Amino acid sequence: MADSADRYDRRAFLARGATTAAAVGLAGVGLPSLLAACGSGSPTTPHASSTPGIGIGAPKRGGTVTIGLNSEIDGFLPSTSHFDNSGLTYANTLFDTLTVVAADGSAKPYLASSVVPNSDMTAWTITLRSGVTFHDGSPLNADVLVANLQALQASALTGQALRGVVDSVAKVPGNDLAVTVTCAEPIVAFPQYLATQVGYVIGMAQLESQSTTKPIGTGPFSLVEWVPNDHLTVTRNPHYWRSGLPYLDGLTYRPISEDQSRENSLRSATIDLMVTRDPNAIRDLRGNADYQLVLNPTVGQGDMDFVILNTSVDPTSDIVVRQALAHAINVDELVKLFGAGIAKPNLSLFPPGSPYRPADNGYPTYDLAKAKQLVAQAAPNHGGTIKIALATITDPRLLNEVQAIASMWGLAGIQTTVSEIEQVTFIDNLVTGQFQAYTDEMFGATDPDLNYVWLSPTTANGAIALNFARNKDDALETALQQGRTMSDQAVRVKAYQEVDKRLAQDLPYLWASLATWCSIGSDVVQNFNNLTLPDGSKALGFSNGILDPTPMWRKD
Amino acid sequence: MLRFTASRLVQLVVICFLISVFAFLLVHLLPGNPARTILGPNYTPANEAVLLKQLGLNKGLVAQYGTWVTNIFHGNLGASFLTKQTVTGALSVAVPIDLELIVVSQVLALLVAIPMALFAALRPNRAFDRVATTSTFAMLSLPTFVAGPLLVLVFAVTLKWVPATGFNRLSQGLGPNLKSVILPSVALAIGSVTVYYRLLRADLIATLQEDFVTMARSKGLSTRYILLRHVMRPSSFSLLAAAGISIGTLFTGAFVVEILFQLPGIGFQLVQAIYANDYLVVQGMALVAAVAFVVVNFGIDFLLTILDPRVRRA
Repeated sequence: MADSADRYDRRAFLARGATTAAAVGLAGVGLPSLLAACGSGSPTTPHASSTPGIGIGAPKRGGTVTIGLNSEIDGFLPSTSHFDNSGLTYANTLFDTLTVVAADGSAKPYLASSVVPNSDMTAWTITLRSGVTFHDGSPLNADVLVANLQALQASALTGQALRGVVDSVAKVPGNDLAVTVTCAEPIVAFPQYLATQVGYVIGMAQLESQSTTKPIGTGPFSLVEWVPNDHLTVTRNPHYWRSGLPYLDGLTYRPISEDQSRENSLRSATIDLMVTRDPNAIRDLRGNADYQLVLNPTVGQGDMDFVILNTSVDPTSDIVVRQALAHAINVDELVKLFGAGIAKPNLSLFPPGSPYRPADNGYPTYDLAKAKQLVAQAAPNHGGTIKIALATITDPRLLNEVQAIASMWGLAGIQTTVSEIEQVTFIDNLVTGQFQAYTDEMFGATDPDLNYVWLSPTTANGAIALNFARNKDDALETALQQGRTMSDQAVRVKAYQEVDKRLAQDLPYLWASLATWCSIGSDVVQNFNNLTLPDGSKALGFSNGILDPTPMWRKD
Repeated sequence: MLRFTASRLVQLVVICFLISVFAFLLVHLLPGNPARTILGPNYTPANEAVLLKQLGLNKGLVAQYGTWVTNIFHGNLGASFLTKQTVTGALSVAVPIDLELIVVSQVLALLVAIPMALFAALRPNRAFDRVATTSTFAMLSLPTFVAGPLLVLVFAVTLKWVPATGFNRLSQGLGPNLKSVILPSVALAIGSVTVYYRLLRADLIATLQEDFVTMARSKGLSTRYILLRHVMRPSSFSLLAAAGISIGTLFTGAFVVEILFQLPGIGFQLVQAIYANDYLVVQGMALVAAVAFVVVNFGIDFLLTILDPRVRRA
C-alpha cells in the first residue's frame, strides 16, 4: 500500500468547473520577501524514498505517459475557457503561471522572477524571467503580459475574478520585462492570484487569434493533437526555460468521465496514472502495492462537496426552504453510504483544523422533525408544495448520491426531481444562474481570499455571476473585505470565522463532506507529485485534482 | 429491376429530405433564444449577432434551410460551440470507429451464428439445438452494460490482454487497433448472435421441409452441398433484413458500449453533445446517423431484391 496525505496544500484553482482559479498559501500573504527572485531553472531533485509520487533514484529521460482524467474541457484560452481540475492540469502542461505555491503554502515566483508590492499593497510590480520563449518562438516580455492581463480583465468570465485585484496594468518605463498592476484596494493575497487561472501567460499569437484550440504557451510541453472527448497529446518543449525539464518525451491525456472505466483502465495498464475523486477507487487500490496513491493535501482549504442553492429563484430564494433542505439532509448517513470509509463529513467552509473554522458556526444539523415543520411553514408561500430540481454532472456515483438526497428531502415533504448534466453545461448553468439546486465541489484554496469571487455579493449580479448561488449578504461582504485587505492574521482569522457563520445562516451551500481527490499511479510512472521551484525547493504537488506533469518520468 | 431501383432511390431521397428538415428544425425547437442557449456564458449582443449570421438565423426559414443544406454539400455541418471542433472533424474521428465496430462485431456474430444455425437446423430438437437455443436465450438476456464490464474485468483487468478503454487507430498498427476494438465488438456481437441464430435456424428448418430439398436428397447430393448451395440462400432473407436493421441501428445504438469503453463514436459523441446542449453537434450527428441508417437499409433492400426476385415483384 502506498498512500500519502501530503501535509501541504497546492493552491488550486477556484472551483471545479469554474472560470478563474484560486488557491493560495497562508504564509505567502503579505510577505513580499518570499517573492524575491528564485534561481534560474534547475531540474527537479529526485528523492531517494518510497513516498508515493516521489521518484526513486535518478530520473530517466524519454518515454511517454498516458493519464486518465475525470473530465474534458472546452478549450485552452484562459480568459474564456472553463478550467476545472482537468483544464488546470492541461494548462500546467502547456502554459506556466507567474507564481506557484510552494510546499509551505506561500506563493513563489515562477514565470515571473519577482512580484513586489508597494508599501500599502495597492500596486504590485511583476518582473518576468528573461530569455523565456513561447512554443512559437516568440519572446515573453512585458507587452505580452500586459496584453494577457488586459484580456483577462476584459473577459466577462475572468474579469469578475480580477475585479478589485487588477484595476489597471502598465509597462514599467524602460524595462521590457516589468509590469505594474494597480489594484483598487490593498490585495494582500495578490501573488496567490498569479498562481491560478488568471496567472497563466499565453503567446501573443494566441491572444490575437483568441484561439481556444491552438494553445501557445511557455509550458514544458506543446500541443500535438487535441481530439475533444478522446485525447490530448503533447510533446516535450525542447526550449523549456527550466533547463533539463521535462523528462518525458510526451504525454497523452485521456478524459474518461466514468469512474469505474477510469479505474479499470489503470488496472489494465491502459493508462499509467489517473485522477479520481471516487472513494471506492481509493478504497480498492490503497492496499495494492502496485499503485502509488497521493491523497488530497490536508493543509489549507481543500475542495468541499456540497449542494449549491440558487438564492435568486423560487423556492430556494426563501430562507425557510433552505433551512428545511439543510435540516433534512443526514450528512453522516450520506457519507456512510457513499464515502467508502474514505470521505469525511464536513459542515463548514473550512476543514477541521483550519484557523478560520469557528468552534461552532451554527450550521443546521440533521433534524427531520424540524425540516418537516419548516416545510409546512414555507409551503403555502410556494403554491402549497416545495418542489426542487436537483442536478449533478453525468456520473453514476453522483447520481446515486443525489437520489439519496432527494429521498431525504422527500421524507421532509419536499418534492425533488433529479437530473444529470454534462460538466461544461453544468458550469455554464451555474454561471448564468439557470439552476435551482446542484451538487458541486469547490473552494479549494490555500488562502481564503481566493474564494472572494465565489462568495462576494459584488459578483452575484448580472446575467453572468461567479457567485453562483447569488447570495447577497452585506455582513458577509464586510467580513470578506476585512479578510482581503488586512494583513494582520488575527483580524483575518476573525473575519473568515465570521464568513463561515454568515454562510451557515444564509445557507447558499448545504455542506456535505471534504472532497476525496486522489491521484493514483502505476509503479511505472515516477515523480508525479514532486514539482520543484526553480531554486530546487519543493512546490506543492497534486491538489484538488490538479496535476503538474513537469517532473514526471518513467521507470522503464 | 431498374424501375424498382429507381422507385427505391426516390423514396431514399424523400426520406433523406425529411430527415434533413427535422434535423434543421432542431435548433428552432430550442426553448427561448437559441443563440443565448448556444452561447451560454459567452452570450453578448455582439456574439449573438455573429452567431446569428453564422447560422443564418437572421434570414427566413426557407432561406436558412437552403443555406444549411448548401453548407452540408460543401462539407460544412457547423462546429461545436464548446470545443470549436467542426462536426465534420468529429465525424472523421467517429465514423471509422463505428464502421470498424460494426464490421468486426457483425462478422463475429455471423461467424458464430451461421455455423450454429446450420448445425442446429440439421438436427432440430437434439442436444446441440437445445443447448444452443437455451444459451442464445441467455445471451439475449445479457445486456451490453453487463456483458461489457464482465469482459473488461476478465480480459483487460485480470488478464491484461487488451486495453479497458480507448481506441487505437489503424495508423497505430493493426495489432493495437484490433486489441482496442475486440472487447466492445464482442459485447455488441452477443446480442446479434442470438437474433441471427434464431432467425436463420427457423428459416433453415422451414426450407429443409421444402420439396426441392427432398428432390435434392433423392438425387444423392450431399447434405453439405444441399445446405450451402440450395438451402442457405432462400433461408437468409430474414437474416439479411435483421442484419440491415442491426447495422443501421449500431451507428448510434452502440453508445452504451462506446461509453463503457470510452470510444468516441457517433453514439458517444451524440450523447455527450445532448448532455452538453451542444445543439449543432447534435444536429449534425443526428443527420448523419439517420441518413446512414436509411442508406444501409436501402443497400440491404437492394441486396434482397437480387437474392430473391419475389421482393421486386411484390
